[in-house]
Amino acid sequence: MALSERYASILKTVSKPGRYIGGEFNAVMKNKDDVRCRFAFCFPDTYEIGMSNLGVRILYDVLNRHPAIWCERVYAPWVDMMEKMKTYGIPLTAMESGDPVGDFDLIGFSLQYELCYSTALAMIKMANVPLLSRDRGEECPIIIGGGPCAYNPEPIADFFDLFNIGEGEEVLLEICELYMKMKREGRYSREGFLREAARSIEGVYVPAFYDVSYHEDGTIAAFTPKYDDIPTKIKKRIISDLDTVPYPEKPVMPYIETVHDRIVLEVYRGCIRGCRFCQAGMVYRPIREKSPEVLCKTAKCLYENTGYDEISLISLSISDYSRLPELCDNLLSWTDDAKVSLSLPSLRIDSFSEELMKKTTGVRTGGITFAPEAGTQRLRDVINKNVTEEDLMRAVGIAFRGGKGNVKLYFMDGLPTETMEDIAGIADLAKKVVGEYYRLPKPQRPYGIGVTISVSCFVPKPFTPFQWEKQDSFETLLEKQAHLRSCIDDKHIRYTYHDAKVSAIEAVFARGDRKLGKALALAAEEGIVFDAWDEFFSYDTYMDIFARTGIDAAFYTTRGFGLDEILPWDMIDCGVTKAYLKNERKKAYEEKTTPSCAEHCNGCGANALGGKNRWCH
Amino acid sequence: MVSLNPNGFYNLRFRFRKVGNLQFVSHLDLVRTFSKIAVRTKLPLWFTEGFNPKPKLVFSPPLSIGVESETEFLDVRLTQYVDPETALAAMNQNVTEEMRFFDAYYAETKLSDIAFISYEIRIQTAGVSEELAKKCQETLLADTVLAVKKGKDGEDKTVDIRPGIHSLTVEEKDGALLLYATLSSDSSSFLNPDLLIRVLKEKCNVFAKDDPTEEFLSVKRIAMLDKDMKDFR
Repeated sequence: MALSERYASILKTVSKPGRYIGGEFNAVMKNKDDVRCRFAFCFPDTYEIGMSNLGVRILYDVLNRHPAIWCERVYAPWVDMMEKMKTYGIPLTAMESGDPVGDFDLIGFSLQYELCYSTALAMIKMANVPLLSRDRGEECPIIIGGGPCAYNPEPIADFFDLFNIGEGEEVLLEICELYMKMKREGRYSREGFLREAARSIEGVYVPAFYDVSYHEDGTIAAFTPKYDDIPTKIKKRIISDLDTVPYPEKPVMPYIETVHDRIVLEVYRGCIRGCRFCQAGMVYRPIREKSPEVLCKTAKCLYENTGYDEISLISLSISDYSRLPELCDNLLSWTDDAKVSLSLPSLRIDSFSEELMKKTTGVRTGGITFAPEAGTQRLRDVINKNVTEEDLMRAVGIAFRGGKGNVKLYFMDGLPTETMEDIAGIADLAKKVVGEYYRLPKPQRPYGIGVTISVSCFVPKPFTPFQWEKQDSFETLLEKQAHLRSCIDDKHIRYTYHDAKVSAIEAVFARGDRKLGKALALAAEEGIVFDAWDEFFSYDTYMDIFARTGIDAAFYTTRGFGLDEILPWDMIDCGVTKAYLKNERKKAYEEKTTPSCAEHCNGCGANALGGKNRWCH
Repeated sequence: MVSLNPNGFYNLRFRFRKVGNLQFVSHLDLVRTFSKIAVRTKLPLWFTEGFNPKPKLVFSPPLSIGVESETEFLDVRLTQYVDPETALAAMNQNVTEEMRFFDAYYAETKLSDIAFISYEIRIQTAGVSEELAKKCQETLLADTVLAVKKGKDGEDKTVDIRPGIHSLTVEEKDGALLLYATLSSDSSSFLNPDLLIRVLKEKCNVFAKDDPTEEFLSVKRIAMLDKDMKDFR
């Protein structure tokens, strides 16, 4: 039986076979004879989620613009397909060519969240590539990690040959160019290539070239490069000018429905705020905006190449874009006629206006989401959220008058300095939102009201002012969740919360060091996969694995890290200085806020990275 | 002469195929995909009214997942007359090889006039022989052919599918069974070819191994017919 028939035959026995077919419109096909570098871009989650990731779309486009590089997509097969592939001896393959991933030159992984690690390792195994970097031979592909999780690559350092720190558009191309050059000149060897990459390409971290030693208490004693010619500190890469960097104008069009099935327009990178828990707000600095002219041109082009009926403006906080009215008006000049709607996710409470609401699809959907993050002004000052209760009441008032009866409020519990009073404040705030609705005259509220409080657990993340903070114990978080429930006495308020167990495991991997490699290797051996999915995540399994590999989870979660401790991620320079983070932490404990970059420069240090931007000086 | 529909639109019909891996794209996903393809063509589309305007598209009877087709029909409503050849070229620029468009014309008939669909079914299974082919044919052409079907309420019910089988042949070819079947396909008596396979599994020991690497089924629509058994147009 031909392989294609065999594959088709197997696809008839699994759920959602459309995930595995490839052949989408705009998928890039190349002639193998013209290609000198084959790059498998892996996303360690399902097709539906991976296809929605903007980073993958951007890098797929950038790499494929190079005539000698063929970048293909790879997603994690769902468990039923994984099982069949194992049974019938089918290796992990790439979407475009259908070729085994293990035969590629380079394999890149987009690491978006810590809970994808087990899936990434499962994919390496399915590709028939040795799991540990040190076990890989000359014929093995080079495995590269990138994305937000690469800001603390240490827990997965054993499995990756190289990490790309920072924005990948230029670095990945440089890595591919170096690979092709060394092959062409006949001087390629794994070690030689990695050495040269670590030495000559900024933003490249090769974990095997660094030694880590530990104190008796488990904290890091020293982090030492093995060679003199590689950097002791790896500087994150950024794209200087977002107006000129390529942006995908012909995205691959999925046949099946994906999570974000629409035009995604990246408006700017970075964030002028500085919420003290937020990693993205720090590591994506400095802020760099695109011009409305470029954005409008891109949007029109994307519409013509895709046929989507929705454009989503993406950034960390869209209402902070300095030329938002201009951009919206320009887009609305043609989108209405084309029956294309605009959506603006991540709206801040203090900048939400009636005008903004009317311009967006929100009008149709009957619901709106805001993120006060904490229940009292005191705690909001601690985390530097810089929004007030008045801001929230004004925002929900506009939403209610605009016909939106469903308000979703995002909070976090377990934040540093949090007390039960702050927890009760969450319920109180929600109640005031309900009250705001009933203050409207009756004819203005023909629809019902529902307020959903969604509470996630604080996870201390590298490169934030809270990177040293301890996480609440599991018991404390449960108490807080129970207390919040007891404070809610209004039938219009619905309360949902994240599983504290998931957040604990997240914290272990977010703040972990290289000692966790053993635990992850064991997890891979035991076939653990898809931890980001509730139905597969098992806290007990992880605790068991930690116990068997001598890992004390509390060391990474409920232990406060010392301010003078060498942190596992200290070898990375993300632009924002440690001194700035320390000072921000101090201000948090003093309940003092820091103004946004738009008000004045706070001296975080990221401006030293350069970049065309309007805020840094 | 092409006439404007009294409701103010032109009804342009396309005939296309959906083959290869596209058999794994569900009808619902196909509909969503076509909305976007239609927009990409820049044809003067007629949009539905309401909060969520979409181009109006009407399809021939839905294909099940796992069934290919050489002949599917799509009616697209246009606000202006467009030369069919131009529209055809525009469609083909916006789809992949597995979904080619063959014809475009302003339709006089309704898609609900499709009365029969012909299928080519290839079964690769253990023990294929001329005798097995004969047995399969006799089984499916018996006076009554009982098949278990899932009813709308989710309950299994046994139905006689024989009235839905207009014509059928089974032969042995290159070690596989080759079925040609023309099945009733109007909306009131649509017969899914899957029921034929189920009968063969049960009565003729087809696919007994249940091993997808050794056994293979391919189902493909090859023609759509009107009530007079003429090619539908």
